[in-house]
Amino acid sequence: MSDDFTLQTETIGDTLVIKTGGYINNVAGEKISKVFSENQNSSIKNAVFDLEKSKVINSIGISYLLEVIEMLSDKNGKIVFLNLDPSVEKTFKIMGLFQFSQTAGSLDSALKELTT
Amino acid sequence: MEQNQLVEKLSLQSESFQEGFKILTKSDNFAEMAKNFRHLLRANFIITDIHLFHKKSFTTEWKDILSHDKIDPKILSFLKHDDQQTLINYNHESYNAVIVLPLTDSSYLGILLGKKLDGGEFTNFDKITLQILLQVFSSAYESFLNQKKEKKLIFDLNEKIMQLNNLIDSGIEISKYENQNNLYELALQKAASLANASSAIIKIIDKGKNNNEELFIFPNGKNPENILNSSYKIETSFDFGEKTFLFVLSEKETRKGVTNFNDLDELLLQAISRQVQTAIENDHLLKQSIEKEKMEKEFLLAAAIQQRIIPKELPKIEGFELAGINIPSKEVGGDYYDCIDLGNGIYSLIIADVTGKGISAALLVNTLNAALYSYLEFNLPLNELAEKLNKLIFNSTPPDKYITFFISILDSKSGKLDVVNAGHNPVLLLRKDGKLEKLESGGIGLGMLDLGIPYQEQNLILNTGDRLFLYTDGIPEAMNKNEEEYSDERMIDFFQKNSFANSPEFIIKMVDDVKKHVNGEPQSDDITCLILKRI
Repeated sequence: MSDDFTLQTETIGDTLVIKTGGYINNVAGEKISKVFSENQNSSIKNAVFDLEKSKVINSIGISYLLEVIEMLSDKNGKIVFLNLDPSVEKTFKIMGLFQFSQTAGSLDSALKELTT
Repeated sequence: MEQNQLVEKLSLQSESFQEGFKILTKSDNFAEMAKNFRHLLRANFIITDIHLFHKKSFTTEWKDILSHDKIDPKILSFLKHDDQQTLINYNHESYNAVIVLPLTDSSYLGILLGKKLDGGEFTNFDKITLQILLQVFSSAYESFLNQKKEKKLIFDLNEKIMQLNNLIDSGIEISKYENQNNLYELALQKAASLANASSAIIKIIDKGKNNNEELFIFPNGKNPENILNSSYKIETSFDFGEKTFLFVLSEKETRKGVTNFNDLDELLLQAISRQVQTAIENDHLLKQSIEKEKMEKEFLLAAAIQQRIIPKELPKIEGFELAGINIPSKEVGGDYYDCIDLGNGIYSLIIADVTGKGISAALLVNTLNAALYSYLEFNLPLNELAEKLNKLIFNSTPPDKYITFFISILDSKSGKLDVVNAGHNPVLLLRKDGKLEKLESGGIGLGMLDLGIPYQEQNLILNTGDRLFLYTDGIPEAMNKNEEEYSDERMIDFFQKNSFANSPEFIIKMVDDVKKHVNGEPQSDDITCLILKRI
């Protein structure tokens, strides 16, 4: 159970912007994965994750994010993370997420990054 | 078909086999791989009626890979096989081929290939192509499994590095926290994420407050009872002071659901708990050290005040020998003595002891000293002076603060001695002939009560050879390690036997005797005494 987990999505062109709040664990990972599965056959190929309100993530949550990265890589898409807590950023670095994704300071710069 | 033609045709197909292998190995999961394989089979044999099944082991049930529908028992009967070898049946009445392919992980792929769309026969070329495609699938499946294993290995390795790193970081972060509530929240977040727990709780039970419980929960909103009563939980605890700190993690998460925690998780939880324990202990020690430092500063200040008031040198009184000493204890008591030259051979001899220790006692001595110097200028009778001092001290101190006080006015020419004892230990007067008098009359300690009860003055004459001994309770109450007091009896006996010595010498001997009794035990109160001898 991840009682405090919240997820908001917004589509901007071919990019799905996801804002999460709370602990990213198994249940949260399933919710994130479901959003992408539902959009698998759509024109969505990029994703921006705003994790400002998610300060804690476990390795199960990370495994879901890795799957999303792989899914979008197959579509030649990209992933950008926003507002990462320093400890989450360090965790992502160790788990190798930044080999296939980037970080940005704002949504505008993230969208700019995705179009280059 | 001629053998050469067959080889030529197969070599033309080889690129498409290789491409098929690549497509299969790029599949994200087994279902996608099966789907891609079905495309390959369709393209190669122009067959749409293709069914793919999978079973995890020789003894388990077949499952339709691409459909969740229940499998027709008739179809299942087609897939019966007696051993763990590859089965290919080309002579089936409904299908061109019925195949059972053992895979590298001891699972099986079942394939039913229906009739060709053009109604044509299943040729030798088709049979060879099928054999090759089965080999392609088998190899791709092995590669797919290896990739999966490799990914898992890398993930597991990274996870361990992450756990170690986070544990080190949490130790640093936890040690920095001054606010204990934030400390518990951080510890919960770290413990839950490190052990992949779905929730965590810290329960603090205060035995000093009727087992009052305080709960910290992660994530917010979880029901604490569900965590504490979970079938999948680990816990650890430690005691500090009167409090017990219980750490509980509930439900270890996996991609397939919740499970039991392992030994590593227990170690991680214990490590986080120890980090919190160390942080709490360090915080406690820091507070103690600040308090100690504050007290030491206060004692230094108190000692400075006391030493400023107590005379460095006593006046020389013609016809008398006067000596005194004050040895402050570590905590600095409120002892005070003085001998004030009032002119014309008149002297005031004072000894006092303020209740309590430290800065407040020292400040009260300071007040007494200042007031005394002022009042002595007015040449008041001693009982009036004591009355005024009592009012002053009563009005300027809390009820638990008072001063035991002895004052005397000595006319050194005549030997006349007027005294008032305001609640102080009896002053001892040893006459030349060995008769001991205790000077006790006066009244209550200064500042104890303000009921207007008059102080009684006593008037005496000191003759040659008479000795007056003034002391504070630090002497008779000095204790050795067996908590035995030096006692009034021993002090009086010592005074009687040794006061024939000159005054400074007597004071040194008196202190030595007290020290001999306490035998190295720390001094718990100030030691103060004065001796006046008429020579």
